[in-house]
Amino acid sequence: SFIIEERSFMPCEDLLYGRMSFKGFNPEVEKLMIQMNSRCKEEETEVDDKMEADVSDEEMARRQLYIFYHLYRYETLVGTIGKKFLRKRDQRVLQDEDEDGNSNTKPSKKAKKKFLKPQD
Amino acid sequence: MAAVRGEPAEACVGQVVLPGDVLLLPAHPDEDGERLQLGAGAAPRGRLLCGPGLRRCEAGLLVTKCGLLRHRQAGGGAAAGGAYWVDSQQKRYVPVKGDHVIGIVTGKAGDVFKLDVGGSEQASLSYLAFEGATKRNRPNVQVGDLIYGQFLVANKDMEPEMVCIDSSGRSSGMGIIGQDGFLFKVSLGLIRKLLAPKCEIIQELSQLYPFELVLGMNGRIWVKAKTIQQTLIIVNILEACEHMTAEQRKQVLAKFSGN
Repeated sequence: SFIIEERSFMPCEDLLYGRMSFKGFNPEVEKLMIQMNSRCKEEETEVDDKMEADVSDEEMARRQLYIFYHLYRYETLVGTIGKKFLRKRDQRVLQDEDEDGNSNTKPSKKAKKKFLKPQD
Repeated sequence: MAAVRGEPAEACVGQVVLPGDVLLLPAHPDEDGERLQLGAGAAPRGRLLCGPGLRRCEAGLLVTKCGLLRHRQAGGGAAAGGAYWVDSQQKRYVPVKGDHVIGIVTGKAGDVFKLDVGGSEQASLSYLAFEGATKRNRPNVQVGDLIYGQFLVANKDMEPEMVCIDSSGRSSGMGIIGQDGFLFKVSLGLIRKLLAPKCEIIQELSQLYPFELVLGMNGRIWVKAKTIQQTLIIVNILEACEHMTAEQRKQVLAKFSGN
């Protein structure tokens, strides 16, 4: 069995804090009294409350989403401005890529522009 | 050698024990160190706090001071598992680590203050051990000041060291005790009685006058009230209440609360 030897009376008898003030003689000491004496008795519950008050899980997820969104926008913004500083060759390559990407839509547009002749 | 006879610890709670008595503890089923306790619970069931006046021996606990044996049940907040200690009476203080005491500054030796705490040696206190103290910003401590601090190091092989901040760096009420007031010495048993939660003496005194009180575990009490007369009344009541019964104390307080 485990026996711990202790030479101090504090953990045995749960003694109060040594500084005391009564009837408002020293307001700081009275605040200290409440703080120190309640700290000994309610240590565990206080720790729990503090943990909850910081950030809840939902709040954390929301904040991370917010950050990711802004990072994404930042990247796209950097992309568009970055193109300005590319050399002309690279700009043409980019334009071709854009045209290839849009080639599907263009014939449909041309088709739409054709005038349909009325049949006799 | 003859076998040492011992008595079970529970039977002696609240009775006078003498040095040399052996207290037997109930045998625990899980004495094997190999078997691990997989059940829930922070502390193993066998853990016991052996307080001042007691020492471990093969059979159980050996008493080293005379006094009343006290016991606290298991299930307390910090120390899970029961606690046994001997409630003894003495006037001489022996420094113990973690105790809050009142010290008187007797001298400065370079960067260190020497404090008289009522023990066999003077305690040392570094000037950096105050809240917000740096090499440039030194605390204003003079010879003869009163300091409320706690022991950082206190054993029989080394000089005791004191600090006025706690482990997180805050002062939490420790430091230089202010001007005026009255310092006097009482026995250590009275200090423990006054510091017990729900002490009647303190509650009755608090109804009397507004005052401020600092209790050091080394038997020193510092009192400050609005007038010198009120201070001296409180000092005399505190010194005498050790030897008064509850009715006598109430009579005395009734006499003063009328004034």
